[in-house]
Amino acid sequence: MKLVQLIVVLFFAYSTGYTTETKNFGQELTLKETTPISEILKAPKDFMEKTVLVKGRVLDVCQKRGCWMKIASDSEFESILIKVDDGVIVFPMEAKGKMALVEGTMEEVEFTMEQTIERQKHECEKEGKEFDAAKVSKPDVMYRLRASGAEIEM
Amino acid sequence: MGMNWMKVRRLLKILHRDIGYLGVGLTVIFAVSGIAVNHIEDWNPNYVIEKKKVIIEDIPAQDEQKITDFVLEKLQINEKVQGWHKTSKENLRIFLDGQTIDVNLNSGAVNLETVTARPFLREFNFLHLNEPKKAWTWFSDLYAVSLLFLAISGMFLLKGSKGMIWRGTWMVSVGVLLPVLFLIYFS
Repeated sequence: MKLVQLIVVLFFAYSTGYTTETKNFGQELTLKETTPISEILKAPKDFMEKTVLVKGRVLDVCQKRGCWMKIASDSEFESILIKVDDGVIVFPMEAKGKMALVEGTMEEVEFTMEQTIERQKHECEKEGKEFDAAKVSKPDVMYRLRASGAEIEM
Repeated sequence: MGMNWMKVRRLLKILHRDIGYLGVGLTVIFAVSGIAVNHIEDWNPNYVIEKKKVIIEDIPAQDEQKITDFVLEKLQINEKVQGWHKTSKENLRIFLDGQTIDVNLNSGAVNLETVTARPFLREFNFLHLNEPKKAWTWFSDLYAVSLLFLAISGMFLLKGSKGMIWRGTWMVSVGVLLPVLFLIYFS
């Protein structure tokens, strides 16, 4: 019975594209030209509510729900957060380190001081750096991409 | 009339039995995955994530390729590098298949994160949470309809006091009442 279940699971996983090399998530990409992430981050307000296609390496993925991922910019030290609604698109952790094309709309998120400290503390812990809450002087404003679709080279 | 009802019941029994058999595999997948994702706050139902911290001394101030080679040699890792990115002035993130290595270029602190998919559970959750979309959406809808059929037909399989005349009515009522009580409690 276990063998039959395994065959059924593998069959459906395969038929739904689970094992293909480039995996599609969400809606099909409509744009052909990519916008460099550095260009967006240089003047994010210029891109608000605009649909863009970005390309970059996946730096991080939401571990439990796959509801966000971070894409590396074409410039050092930069990345952009890609957000999706829970369950609508689920990014797998296997995407980490892979190249991704993501289409979506830019949006602005304002954090409270408390949230800012928590976020920066978490980032520092992740990178093994020391965190000093006293150095946080103003709340973060984040510009992120609300994704409608993505293609990841798995 | 009595004869017709007997025929209907016989047909219901056959359908209930065969649809039940067909649903075993999916029921196992959905039930196991259901328990797994129900406790998502306490554990990761899809992946085992192992973290390790080491210190590497004297990391050379060179380009990323050379630093990567140096770090992997020190860690005795002989795997293909997928890429890297400098996430900050002092942090280099190196990607291997299923492994991420964060290297603090100043302190030499190295954080290794290894991600392994939980066998079966990852696949079960993939299907249960409808990650594939497409045809799977319709197929799982069909499964949901078949569960409805099993629930409703199940009420009419037995006649007499063990059927809906007595025992069945009571037990179905309790089954309906329980979620209602939870709703009242949590509202």
